[in-house]
Amino acid sequence: MSDIAAFWLDSLPQLLAGLSISLQVTGAALAIGFPLGLLLALGVQSKVKAVKLPSLCLVEIGRGAPALVVLQFAYFGLPQGGLTLSAFAAAVFALAWNTGAYTSEIIRAGLESVPFGEIEAASAMGMLPRDTLRFVIIPQGLRVAAPALLGFAVAVLQATSLCFAIALPELTSNAYMIGTITFRYMEILSLAGILYAAICVPATIAVGVLEQRLGKHAL
Amino acid sequence: MIHGVALGIPWTLAVTAAAFLIGAALGLPLCAMRMSKLPPLRFIGLAYIILFRSIPPLLLVFFFFFGLGSGFLPISAFQGAVLGLGLITAANMAEIYRGALSAIHFGQWDASEALALPSYSTYIDIIAPQLIRVSLPSAASYAVGLLKESAIASTIGVTDISFNANYIAKSTYQGLTVFGIAALFYIMISLPIAALARFADQKLRARVAL
Amino acid sequence: MNHIPDTVNLSRMHPVGEPDKPILRLEAIRKKFGEHVVLDDVNISLKSGEVVAIIGPSGSGKSTLLRCVNMLGPATSGRVVIGDLVIDEAVPPTAQQLTQLRRSVGMVFQSFNLFPHMSVLRNVSLPQERVLGRSRKDANKRSLELLARVGLEDKADQYPARCSGGQQQRIAIARALALEPQIMLFDEPTSALDPELGLEVLAVMQELARSGMTMLVVTHEMNFAETVSDRVIIMADGKIIEEGASREVIRNPTSDRAKRFLKAVKDR
Ligand SMILES: Nc1ncnc2c1ncn2[C@@H]1O[C@H](COP(=O)(O)OP(=O)(O)O)[C@@H](O)[C@H]1O
Ligand SMILES: [Mg+2]
Repeated sequence: MSDIAAFWLDSLPQLLAGLSISLQVTGAALAIGFPLGLLLALGVQSKVKAVKLPSLCLVEIGRGAPALVVLQFAYFGLPQGGLTLSAFAAAVFALAWNTGAYTSEIIRAGLESVPFGEIEAASAMGMLPRDTLRFVIIPQGLRVAAPALLGFAVAVLQATSLCFAIALPELTSNAYMIGTITFRYMEILSLAGILYAAICVPATIAVGVLEQRLGKHAL
Repeated sequence: MIHGVALGIPWTLAVTAAAFLIGAALGLPLCAMRMSKLPPLRFIGLAYIILFRSIPPLLLVFFFFFGLGSGFLPISAFQGAVLGLGLITAANMAEIYRGALSAIHFGQWDASEALALPSYSTYIDIIAPQLIRVSLPSAASYAVGLLKESAIASTIGVTDISFNANYIAKSTYQGLTVFGIAALFYIMISLPIAALARFADQKLRARVAL
Repeated sequence: MNHIPDTVNLSRMHPVGEPDKPILRLEAIRKKFGEHVVLDDVNISLKSGEVVAIIGPSGSGKSTLLRCVNMLGPATSGRVVIGDLVIDEAVPPTAQQLTQLRRSVGMVFQSFNLFPHMSVLRNVSLPQERVLGRSRKDANKRSLELLARVGLEDKADQYPARCSGGQQQRIAIARALALEPQIMLFDEPTSALDPELGLEVLAVMQELARSGMTMLVVTHEMNFAETVSDRVIIMADGKIIEEGASREVIRNPTSDRAKRFLKAVKDR
């Protein structure tokens, strides 16, 4: 028992360094992905074909292809097109695309939940459509979408484990590396699992609480 | 090149189907535990669901393949992937069932009780068929998600679509094309699953109208 | 004014016990939801073949009372006596008692509660197979007789969703009859229906009453209460405030509370 504790203590710094990279990738992917999702949500609803079609393509591929394949596409594929990304950049590229594609649907549902009467009321008061969008529809739509967006943020943190495939030294990769050296996979993968759970369990519970609260206000 | 990637399709389908079946079956008792009147059972159910939704699928698959596999219980890459994904699917299916249960009118329980139906009959004859019918759309979209998630099996050596794409990309330096083809395969497989689910849903809806 | 069509079937199809001994007795039924007293010392006794209507304002505890009779929602205290079956509401019954109770007591709900994923025939046959142990063939034969009795044998192969509300409620009555109960409980069987569809359900209930079935009916149909039932019970705030011969109670109520309620119903 104390043997495992000592092993965990020894390995912890390396895992924490990995976790730090996982969190950086998550943060960057969300920072790019959420605004991208909002843009795509608006773009898909656009009446201009030149905006609508590319938006639709980005969403459908981002949702239809496995994140792992998009990741490998970014890291191993893009060089064929003359663009070579570092593992970190490729990870952010792929996960931001993934985030944008999925959250565009979440945000679209949120925007559509804003009652039509409020939009009419805003224009009746003489608000410009642009201002109605900015001050009435988007803030309310995002509030409705908030629990699902937080839920997706948890999914992105978990998805950073895929970066094992492009040798980015994040949490799962580091745990695996320690496993190959010490051959104590069970213990080290368990510790990595505990670290993921330490972040994801509270976040998942928070999503549930947020959903309930929002449900109460909406009624 | 297309042919090489396509060789992985049966494995992708096998991992997805096996994990889904395990999860759909295990999800039922898990859902029952989650909704049990007994606090310890309810806690175990809830803890399982939260825990398995909080650990990255890749890590869990590693845990079974490398962790269990390293001396504890010899396990193939296919088995490891199916076990890991299946246990996660169980947690998610349990939540899908729970949502579906709340959509079943309480009068169905009342009527079953008033008609003195034994509880096995209430569950098998009355509740389960309606549960399956109500959960069908969510279960189908989960299955499509699982199809894509199954790509992680390639990281432990299951020769699925993603594995073959990776292999060919590295040997030909044509990653852009190869991964594009792989993505297309996944999208093409998910289309009939979604269509089938829609078809079944409409067919049942026309008859049953819950 | 509702007109209930006459039916010719006056034969007594249902078993009759000893004439004087009550077939169903509810004794000192009390029920609390937390601190809220919903039923306060309710006593009712039904003779075999008797039809009793319970009326009263909404929230007075009528549904709760019916659910105590077949233990769908047991009372806090009191007893239900059916023949030699004695159920103490405060004590969890044995599985065997519960089955005996529910076989003796059929129930029809306001919202029909047919099983939507089964054909009409399966709806009626399933309880016979699972509870009475009948073969599929025998159960179906009996189901078709019962469906004929409620005028719906041609709907046997349909799904409930394809039937009108009135038809669904008649199917629900056939289903409840399939276990050959001694007593039938009805909880506002026509409240979810358009008046016209309600009439066809009331006609089936009237035929059932004439055939000698013992019935306890919660209803808002004053015409049914007055003309079909033998006795009327008025409930308010969890208590019986008035009871007696139907016409007497409805035409000449004695308590102020009952007068107020009946006036409100007539003015509607
Ligand atoms: N499950 C319950 N929990 C708490 N209170 C209830 C419940 N069911 C019924 N009640 C209360 O019991 C009272 C009687 O309800 P009910 O029997 O449905 O009346 P009725 O059928 O006469 O309209 C009402 O005040 C209602 O609010
Ligand atoms: Mg009621």
